[in-house]
Amino acid sequence: MSAPRKTTEHQKGDHRGNRTILWRTIALMIIFGVLAFIPLLITLFNIQIRDHDYYEQLAISQQTRDVAVEANRGTIFDRNGNTLAMSATVYRIIVSPRDLIQVQENYAQKVDKAKAGTGKMPTTPEPTNELVAQGLAEILGMDAESIAKRLERDYSAYEVLTNQAEEVVADQVRAFISENALSNSIVITPTSKRYYPNNALACQVIGFVNSNGGAYGMEALYDEELSGETGRVVIAKNGNGTEMLSRYENYYDATDGDNLTLTIDSTIQYYCERILEKGIETFEVQNGGFAIAMDPNTGAILAWANSPSYDLNSPSTISDPTVKAELEALAEEVGSDSEEYLQALGQAQLDQWRNKAINDTYEPGSTFKSMVLSAALEEGVVSESDTFTCTGSVTVAGYTIHCSRRTGHGTQTLAEAVANSCNPAFIEIGQRLGAEKFYDYLEDFGFTELTGIDLQGESDSYIWSREFFTSEIGISSLATASFGQRFNVTPIQLITAAASVINGGHLMQPYVMQSITDAEGNVVVSNEPTEVRQVISEETSQIAREILEKVVDGGTGKNAYQAGYRIGGKTGSSETLENDHTIVSFLGFAPADDPQVIVLLAYDNPKPKAEGSSYTSQGWYISGGQMAAPMAGELLADILDYLGVEKQYTEAELSGADTAVPGVVGLSAADAQTRLEKANFTVRTVGTGEVVTDQLPASGASIPGGSQVVLYLGEEKPKDLVAVPDLTGKTPEAARTALQELGLYIRVSGATGYYTSSTVAVSQSIAAGTGVERGTVVDVQFMDNNGEGAGWGF
Amino acid sequence: MLARKMKRDLTVEEQLARGPMDLPFLMLTLMLTGIGLIMMFSASYASALYDASVGYNPTYYIARQALFAVGGVAVLYLVSKINYQWFRVLSVLVLAGAIVALLLVFTPLGFGKATVGAQRWVKIGPINFQPSEIAKVGVILFFAARLSKRDTEKKKKFDKRKLSGRILSFLDGIGFLELIPYGAILGVIAVLMLMEPHMSGTILILVAGASILFAAGIKFYWFIIGGAGVAAALAFVITQTDYMAYRIQIWLDPWSDPLIGGFQTIQSLYAVGSGGLLGLGLGKSRQKFLYLPEPENDYVFSIVCEELGYLGAAIVLILFALLIIRGYWIAVHARDRFGALMVVGITTQIAVQVFLNIAVITNMIPVTGISLPFFSYGGTALLIQLAEMGVILSVSRQIPAPKQG
Repeated sequence: MSAPRKTTEHQKGDHRGNRTILWRTIALMIIFGVLAFIPLLITLFNIQIRDHDYYEQLAISQQTRDVAVEANRGTIFDRNGNTLAMSATVYRIIVSPRDLIQVQENYAQKVDKAKAGTGKMPTTPEPTNELVAQGLAEILGMDAESIAKRLERDYSAYEVLTNQAEEVVADQVRAFISENALSNSIVITPTSKRYYPNNALACQVIGFVNSNGGAYGMEALYDEELSGETGRVVIAKNGNGTEMLSRYENYYDATDGDNLTLTIDSTIQYYCERILEKGIETFEVQNGGFAIAMDPNTGAILAWANSPSYDLNSPSTISDPTVKAELEALAEEVGSDSEEYLQALGQAQLDQWRNKAINDTYEPGSTFKSMVLSAALEEGVVSESDTFTCTGSVTVAGYTIHCSRRTGHGTQTLAEAVANSCNPAFIEIGQRLGAEKFYDYLEDFGFTELTGIDLQGESDSYIWSREFFTSEIGISSLATASFGQRFNVTPIQLITAAASVINGGHLMQPYVMQSITDAEGNVVVSNEPTEVRQVISEETSQIAREILEKVVDGGTGKNAYQAGYRIGGKTGSSETLENDHTIVSFLGFAPADDPQVIVLLAYDNPKPKAEGSSYTSQGWYISGGQMAAPMAGELLADILDYLGVEKQYTEAELSGADTAVPGVVGLSAADAQTRLEKANFTVRTVGTGEVVTDQLPASGASIPGGSQVVLYLGEEKPKDLVAVPDLTGKTPEAARTALQELGLYIRVSGATGYYTSSTVAVSQSIAAGTGVERGTVVDVQFMDNNGEGAGWGF
Repeated sequence: MLARKMKRDLTVEEQLARGPMDLPFLMLTLMLTGIGLIMMFSASYASALYDASVGYNPTYYIARQALFAVGGVAVLYLVSKINYQWFRVLSVLVLAGAIVALLLVFTPLGFGKATVGAQRWVKIGPINFQPSEIAKVGVILFFAARLSKRDTEKKKKFDKRKLSGRILSFLDGIGFLELIPYGAILGVIAVLMLMEPHMSGTILILVAGASILFAAGIKFYWFIIGGAGVAAALAFVITQTDYMAYRIQIWLDPWSDPLIGGFQTIQSLYAVGSGGLLGLGLGKSRQKFLYLPEPENDYVFSIVCEELGYLGAAIVLILFALLIIRGYWIAVHARDRFGALMVVGITTQIAVQVFLNIAVITNMIPVTGISLPFFSYGGTALLIQLAEMGVILSVSRQIPAPKQG
């Protein structure tokens, strides 16, 4: 806009016009050159910087295909490295009906082209739905029709046919895919399956996995460690879903899960489960039971058995035959898909999965007296020389509490009072302690807190508050608490407290996880024994052990006696709020002088033969001493044998201990007799010869000391088998004679040290009527099945 | 060069036409063209690679675009050498030709309906072109030429004794009468283009025309009235047609129809958002792999954002802003009104096109289908844009040198 040179009328207007153009152009410049770009830059900033993560994530999720690489779940070992739970690779077989249609279309196109002369006929058969369904059904052992039906879901790209195809089956499927050119429409992906080689062993402790990982037990508790980290392969794909060049791929390796080593010992666990089942069968126990074995010095759980149990490999299957039958009957009645049935099934499954010994509480009964005893000893309110007089009952705060022996135990020493499990004596001991001190020990022994064991669902105990317990109106509580009634604790609390009584006073924190190691074997976590507190002194503990040994050595726990093993313990018969519902239990440990193992064995609700009866239909007196004690004795003997604890025979026992028979064939009759008698055997000769021609049992055979060895002097040793007689109900002497007559030997166990007329054989290792060679040793279990000395609180 | 006249033999105008081009504007144009080519190549690479119709040839688009770019730069240079006063004469021809071509679209010579759903192209002999591109140039040239003489036109005399005379006099007084030819031209072109339909092209022509009218000094209230009219028409269309209502709904929430209507917008936002500050790197866009539809075209800037990040996108925008500011600067300094108004029209049209394109890819406004100058694929468009730049440079050549002292 050139400057005007002459000012004329016309040029004035021109000048004004130029000014307008100038300013309006500058306005446009500001609007379009500057202002318009501000919102653009702000918007771009918002999208690119502020919301970057949001959009990037959305973009990446559509641009990539994530393929999970499953980590191998860690193995669970027992303390000796035996496998309790392991994972193996299996395969998931998936069909994609949507892709199958594509395959079919491609095939049709090829055929069309071939017909038009522009291509070759495909060499594979036509990939019809029928072909695929038929082929897969044959390989997978499935119903072809059901597969065909799923192939009709043409909108679906993910129909899982099986999750558990083994390698062999997967190979067959692979061959089928390549033979019929079905790639993309059938997909095989590796996945893993959990195996429990021991089926039901320690099932409630180990637990199982479901699709979300660990569902119960250690599998759930240590799920994070066991499951490892799932890896990923991220594959870039384009908008059509086609995978792109490999440079876009990212691998995130799967980290295999850590391995778990438990403190559980499979063998001890097996013994515990076996003894549980045996007792449940023998005593007609209705609500199952539990058995816990613990190393008292460390708190390590050696075994933890609950009954009923279930097979970890198929946790949903009800294993209890009674419950199963009930469910089947219900299914018949209301239909297997009815709400009622499914609810009952679900409940039954939950029941068998739950770990009763930690989820539930019970009244500990007389087993609790071990703690009362040691507390009183520790506080010095009783001494071993104290005597207690029992008249059969005692009155506390207006309530009369009977002793199990209505006639009274008379005057007894402290040890005798414990051995007799005398309630009045313990009420007196409790009173000497006083409510405050008593409650202190309840707390010190850990009954008012969780033990902190690494198992799921530890229940709180159910105990009076200190305020109530120490108050005027709580006085009867002190009395009942003294013999372990009217409050509830968990079995793990009880055994943990009892362990501290015998291990020198150390309350240990029980644990099940020994160590965690990674896939390379490096230890990640190692559980060391943890002492919670010292409850009683070493000395008190020693006295308690001695007194508790006497419970087995002639007291209420005498049925737990095992020759050669120094077993200590305490019986218990816990009443429940239901009538005729008793929990019989035995808390045992061995060896008494240096405890290596402590067990708590309980049977819940043996069935009385009639309402109000104290006996089962088989004639068993319902009490801890008569039921749990013999079983616990057998269990402890097995465990000690397994642990390699050397037997320590007392003088009396020694004569009956197993001894190897020396070989005497070829010796003169007199020499043979001398040698055998030296080895603590009696001798019987058959025949009239001078020289021993044969002997029964053969040289080296191990038979109980004092048994009779038969020497054949020229006579032929009979080779025929003899039938084992039925010994049930026989006294030890009668049983010995019966066997000896047949050339068989007896090895006694159970309550034999203190014979009474009521001590009878209850079981034998070889069933009656079985044909055996002469010289065979038959183990016979004896029991003192006298009702006397048992009862409420025992 | 022998034919070249000596400088002293030149007329003043001829001398001026040999003046230097505005270097900053030339540089900005060439930079944007270069960057545009590179980014268009990157953006189009994947879609060409996967497209059977271009023979899976990843260089299909860039090869063509580059050819047009080279030709375009040559045209730019040639046009800049033309004394732009010639365009005054040409303007009527171009405008008339454009209107004829727009009519031809609806004859058998036109095509596009079958392939892209809009009848926008004409094929004459071997040449395919969009008449709307010519119409754009035609409108700018014609408006600039006619409005530059606005002040020199004789005042019309009306017979105030007649009613019609008084009305005409009144209409002339408020400036209505002089608007009639412009309004008629814009109206005819708009109607023809909306029939194609070609909404975005219509907008650009209207804006370019309006900017020239504005700069030429047409009374402000006419723009308010015109703006109100356009707003009313828009409101009517939005509320009364399902098609526009749907577009508005998609604009407000692209995720309400993520696979059809909102797809392109969503994919564009993913691309833009993925870029972050520094971007994924040149050539490393992921969204161009068949996610973002037609990344070589209207959405090329989304790929710029994804690959070069906020930083790269901002630099490109600043280059555009500088180009536009320099354009207006040339207009302000132009030797005469014709040059000034022509440059204003071209610059404004480029500016609006840039603004609308980027507003669309960031979902600031509903999708309209406007390409980005120098970046989007389209040979004719690029050629014409460069020619337009040539026009501006031609105007710049005649800017008198600042007076010394």
